[in-house]
Amino acid sequence: MRHNLLFALAALGLASAPALAADPIEGLARTCNNCHGTGGVSVGYSMPSIAGLSETYLKNILMEWKSGARASANMTRLIKGYTDEEIAALAGYYSKLPWTAQVQPAAKELLAKGKDVTERCETCHGATGGQPDDKETPRLNGQWAKYLELEMLKYRDEGFQMTHKKMMKNTRKMEEGDVATAAKYYGAQSK
Amino acid sequence: MSQINRREFVKAIAAASSAAAVSVPLSACAGPGAKRASGGAKARVVVIGGGYGGATAAKYVKLLDGDIEVTLIEPNAVYTSCPLSNEVISGHRDIKTLQVGYDGLKKRGVHVLQDMVIGVDRTKKVVTTKGGKKLEYDALVMSPGVEFHYDNIAGYSEAVINDIPHAWKAGEQTLILQKQLMAMPDGGKFVIVVPKGPFRCPPGPYERASLAASYLKHHGKTKSKIIILDANDSHSKKGLFQQAWKAMYGFEKEGMGTNGMIEWVKASEGGTVNKLDVASKTVHSDFVDLKADVLNIIPAHKAGKIAVDTGLAKESGWCKVVPMTMASAEDENIYTIGDSCVAGEMALYGNPNANFDMPKSAHIAMTQAKVAAAAIVAKVNGLPTPQPYYANTCYSIVGDDYGFSVAHQYRVENGTFKYIKEGSGVSPMAMPDKSPVPAIYRKLEAEYADGWVRNVMADAFG
Repeated sequence: MRHNLLFALAALGLASAPALAADPIEGLARTCNNCHGTGGVSVGYSMPSIAGLSETYLKNILMEWKSGARASANMTRLIKGYTDEEIAALAGYYSKLPWTAQVQPAAKELLAKGKDVTERCETCHGATGGQPDDKETPRLNGQWAKYLELEMLKYRDEGFQMTHKKMMKNTRKMEEGDVATAAKYYGAQSK
Repeated sequence: MSQINRREFVKAIAAASSAAAVSVPLSACAGPGAKRASGGAKARVVVIGGGYGGATAAKYVKLLDGDIEVTLIEPNAVYTSCPLSNEVISGHRDIKTLQVGYDGLKKRGVHVLQDMVIGVDRTKKVVTTKGGKKLEYDALVMSPGVEFHYDNIAGYSEAVINDIPHAWKAGEQTLILQKQLMAMPDGGKFVIVVPKGPFRCPPGPYERASLAASYLKHHGKTKSKIIILDANDSHSKKGLFQQAWKAMYGFEKEGMGTNGMIEWVKASEGGTVNKLDVASKTVHSDFVDLKADVLNIIPAHKAGKIAVDTGLAKESGWCKVVPMTMASAEDENIYTIGDSCVAGEMALYGNPNANFDMPKSAHIAMTQAKVAAAAIVAKVNGLPTPQPYYANTCYSIVGDDYGFSVAHQYRVENGTFKYIKEGSGVSPMAMPDKSPVPAIYRKLEAEYADGWVRNVMADAFG
């Protein structure tokens, strides 16, 4: 427990633990931080935070990119350089870090509209995105709205090979103008 | 490993927030290799240069071991990111979004000294600054970036750069070139002179040409030309650039005197500029004499002066490194990272089998810095040398909703760098069935470039 806690604190820059310097998974994860933020907490709007996402979700998506089943503009290239064991370890590592919601305030009207247009999402992602139904489903509360919008564009685009049929079906049913609204709704949620 | 107890975590954060840095050494750290430096700190690390590499090294040493004293020495109070500064030149981005100070590092307990290092005594392990300070170190991180060499082109010198900007170190130079581009009348010639590689930011000159074309196109200056005179016969992401230029800027083919807004002249066809007439902004090569309206000469460069003066850049003007740790091949107490080092084979574009050197990019400088930081902390604490991982991602923006990237990965096997080909490569030029790449791919990468720069700036300086 103590070691675990140190991992989390060190990743957030709140404590230091020299033993982590020699930890191979820490070393690998440090390269992920460049794009996904120190400790997996992103501050770039188009890049997702990955700290605190479920292990199953992370592992699934990374392995789908590696096999080529799922498209990505860039992760499909990078992830092929990692072994399956490293991918599993990275998924485990980031899943044990706490989720940091980057709450992006939105106007009351937008939130009301957002609640409305995300009704179809609730069953799996929970009312505010913070309580997903199962471990295969990512949490959305306080994830970057820009990133969520781009993800939905991927699901809606027939030329972009995605794997989750339910997501493709549901996002394609949405009105075009509602995509950004839905994304902003989840970005504004704290839990 | 079990899930973190959230209550315990929250309590720990509350406790931690009352101190600048909480150091909780594990029992394994107090091994026989642990050293004590004079003055109470476990060890003293001095970092020369506050760019992406130096800032990251300072931050990650402190993150991994708060008991190590870290001093970063940098002459400027504000850093301007070179990555994405081409968007400033073309008016697509405010330079303020690329600027960052050193308060983030100070909050983490890094001493930041606004000064310049003028000498390193490798025997006594002392750094001397212009301001007259002498700092002892147990480990020195050398991250000075590049030094420009103006003497390859007759008539060219540092004295002319306010008139003929390089804009290859971002900041004032970026804004000078922006102003000149925007003042250029329709039908003008914007000439970019590219030095022989290796140079920092391998796709940079071509991204600059693309974004300048985007600016000119959107401002009705469509009779203008952008001519790249290149001292190399190939370049980074060439296929992707030319595909984009054809799609957006009427690019015809390589060589001079073609239709389309962008022309690319390679070394073997007269691209190597060797003479400049400053007054008329005319550049000459063996085959070409070209008068520019806006002239952007990127000077040749080598390792930063302090790295050379310290005797670390013996081979071909760049610093050679030990792959496991990023320590200098010349001195085990100095870690040479970033643009001043050469890690792997030298850049040889055009040879498909030779693309295993590390490009001079912010991203690679940061992963090198993290390797160096972990190696330093492990050494100080008597831990085994960590396994290093090097990665690069480099985005280029070429127009509205149009970007692409290259990824590189390297590991170390038997003490030598190994390029991980299966985890590297450029964005696709076509889909596997030969159909065109859907527009969404290019849009996503243009968007990711912005997210990337925000995260690398925060990961280095925050």
